[in-house]
Amino acid sequence: MESKLETISLPHLPASLPIHVALFRNVQNSAFLRQQLLAGNADFEYAMIDASLVFSRAHAMAAVFRAMNDYLNSRLKSHNVHSEIVFSFNPTNNIAESFRKLGISDSTKDLLIIKVSVSPDITHDSVATHLASSVEGVPMSFDDSTLSEIHDINKIKKLYKLGALPSPAVKADPSQPMPGAAKDLLESSLIGAIALRGS
Amino acid sequence: MTEEYKPPALPSPFTNTTPAPTLLVQGAEAHLYKTVSLDPSIPAALKVRPSKPYRHPILDRRLTRQRIIQEARCLVKLVREGVSVPAVLAMDWEGQGGEESAWGGAWLMMEWIEGPVVRVVLEQWEAWMKKHATALDASQMPMEEDRVRGLMKRIGLTIGGLHKAGVVHGDLTTSNLMLRSPAQGQRQETGLAASAVSMEGEVVLIDFGLAAQSTQDEDRAVDLYVLERAIGSTHPRSEQFFDSVLLGYRESHKGAGSTLKRLEDVRMRGRKRSMIG
Amino acid sequence: MIAIGMEGSANKLGVGIMLHPEDGSPPRVLANIRHTYVSPPGEGFLPKDTARHHRAWVVKLVKKSLKEARVSVGDVDCICFTKGPGMGAPLQSVVVAARMLSLLWNKPLVGVNHCVGHIEMGRLITGATNPVVLYVSGGNTQVIAYSSQRYRIFGETLDIAVGNCLDRFARTLHISNDPAPGYNIEQLAKQGKQLVDLPYVVKGMDVSFSGLLAAIDGLAAQWGLGGEDAANEDLRAQDPQSGAVHIPQTDGKPTRADLCFSLQETVFAMLVEITERAMAHVGSKQVLIVGGVGSNERLQEMMGVMARDRGGSVYATDERFCIDNGIMIAQAGMLAYQTGFQTPLKESTCTQRFRTDEVFVKWRED
Repeated sequence: MESKLETISLPHLPASLPIHVALFRNVQNSAFLRQQLLAGNADFEYAMIDASLVFSRAHAMAAVFRAMNDYLNSRLKSHNVHSEIVFSFNPTNNIAESFRKLGISDSTKDLLIIKVSVSPDITHDSVATHLASSVEGVPMSFDDSTLSEIHDINKIKKLYKLGALPSPAVKADPSQPMPGAAKDLLESSLIGAIALRGS
Repeated sequence: MTEEYKPPALPSPFTNTTPAPTLLVQGAEAHLYKTVSLDPSIPAALKVRPSKPYRHPILDRRLTRQRIIQEARCLVKLVREGVSVPAVLAMDWEGQGGEESAWGGAWLMMEWIEGPVVRVVLEQWEAWMKKHATALDASQMPMEEDRVRGLMKRIGLTIGGLHKAGVVHGDLTTSNLMLRSPAQGQRQETGLAASAVSMEGEVVLIDFGLAAQSTQDEDRAVDLYVLERAIGSTHPRSEQFFDSVLLGYRESHKGAGSTLKRLEDVRMRGRKRSMIG
Repeated sequence: MIAIGMEGSANKLGVGIMLHPEDGSPPRVLANIRHTYVSPPGEGFLPKDTARHHRAWVVKLVKKSLKEARVSVGDVDCICFTKGPGMGAPLQSVVVAARMLSLLWNKPLVGVNHCVGHIEMGRLITGATNPVVLYVSGGNTQVIAYSSQRYRIFGETLDIAVGNCLDRFARTLHISNDPAPGYNIEQLAKQGKQLVDLPYVVKGMDVSFSGLLAAIDGLAAQWGLGGEDAANEDLRAQDPQSGAVHIPQTDGKPTRADLCFSLQETVFAMLVEITERAMAHVGSKQVLIVGGVGSNERLQEMMGVMARDRGGSVYATDERFCIDNGIMIAQAGMLAYQTGFQTPLKESTCTQRFRTDEVFVKWRED
């Protein structure tokens, strides 16, 4: 299956370290993918995140940037930059908990996969080819409107302990996206929590 | 003995940033830059607290860390509470290259607020009034004054929201209050005012470098008192409208009354006492 | 024009004679002598003992300074004295002497603010034209900048003065008060290595030292480093050649030197920080350090690093002018006298409280 892999050059990071991001729905082989991670199969060294916990593109990029900055300063708290990205989504310092809550599980249906070009042989094409042959799921564009169909606001709020923020449940019409202000408020709070982790 | 001045070096990873962040202000504590956020189309403010080589490295790290974290915590808390302050985008308090590193500084990337600081708005308005006050007709003068009162009241409401959220600013001046420019097409005031100085926009509090979490009336009253003094010394023509700040403040939250009572004491006491030689 | 300056607001009695030549050439110090009342280790100087010291020495010092300056009473134009701030009894003993000389010699009196004396002497000696002034002594801690005919206080201590904090800790450690407790702390601090955590309290441009003093006194007590016995132990361990103290380090336990070192590092960092904030605020690149604590070389060094990073420079004077003296009173008094200022006999009182910004600085322009 083809992927809609997007390659992003994040501002402030070296141009030699582009970030490859793919979003899949209805993934069928999560158990297999998770098994490869646990077995330490180097070919499967990806950040694999339960996409229902990813609020928006900016939310995801904040976590990637946090991990990349720690990577560049040689202070990773986990094995590698990809596990660190999963950890960076977590609002607390508990690494095992972050993998359990945010990482891929056997039943994960919606999956965000991130890979950093930490060596020259990791390119857009190499990642695209490998994902196309390894992930059994429907490739989606990595954008806010797709994420808004996938994400589970209540789960996200619970994870980040943001229960007091305005809830989408008050929306008159659930098919409409969250009101702009509420979206901004939640997004800013998530990004702030990521920046503050461990402070 | 004066050595040649060198502009401060940027911390990693901003040495990669293209175009390079623009230095806006070099304060005593921090350098403020304009750069982009993680989305290159959206600007961001970058506050760098450099290492201070005059102090012991252990003490330096401790202070730099404490302060950047304190500032970020206040901002994140305030964003959550819906107080209008710049959102935190990213930060780093650990310095670079281990404990004995050459750079023990810290940085904080924040939302960029587009718009003028209240100091400039009031300066422009006062300058305009000085020039044109005599030419204004009977209805224009009170209208102009009402506009300033309206702005002051909004400032009071915003400060009330800040205090209600459990944070005191620590350095409230008109330089630390901004007016967020309304998005295109949302301007409302056009044509109403005699002076060309716009007072539109949401009041945004900035620079939380000296902020602290506190719900004490004393700390809150000192915040108001510091602002009162700052307006008195920087904007003599606008000083008469400070009452409107307090009016807005009173309406902002339940505890406002006791803070305003405390403000009376703080005013009486003044900040300075006589010292023994 | 010649002025005598008489200073005795704390434990130093100083008499100085200053000449401002008629031809406009730079002022000259003709005499600057001082006698210090030194209390025993572990004790501070009490007002009544200090006043007794000043009364006993003031006539001798005046005679000696006239002799040293080679001027006669007839050459003197005015008698300048410290009006305040300071300790009441010592101030009073000097003002009585000044009044007596004024009547005896029929010379006008000029009452001088002690802090302004420090500032004007510092400006004269260093040539700093418009610096931010850090005034640090046993009784004062202020950050001052000049603006429209006043020396305005931008920041200050909220409780005790930095010199008082150092002096009181010297008492805790039973460090000698000769020549000055702060000087002996500075020497001991040079052997300190380990930095202990102490409260660091800066609020805007203000500082507070009382919590810090309580904390370090507590540490001294906790580690058994206070009092006479510990002081004697240090003396026994002192290398007679180098003066260095060799006390074996036991895991994590700070030495007396470590405490002095940590105290200095912390309080001086606070002072440099508020000075830098004031410099940024008024846009000045010059710093002038005055007052007794200003003779501390570590403080000067730290201030120098800060000033260099801002593209500026630090001005400091040595102990002759930093530590309380009579010549600074003569200098500031003469500047006022030249603008027509005199203190009538009836008003020649002194006061313990006299703020730096109360003085109208008529002699400076803009």
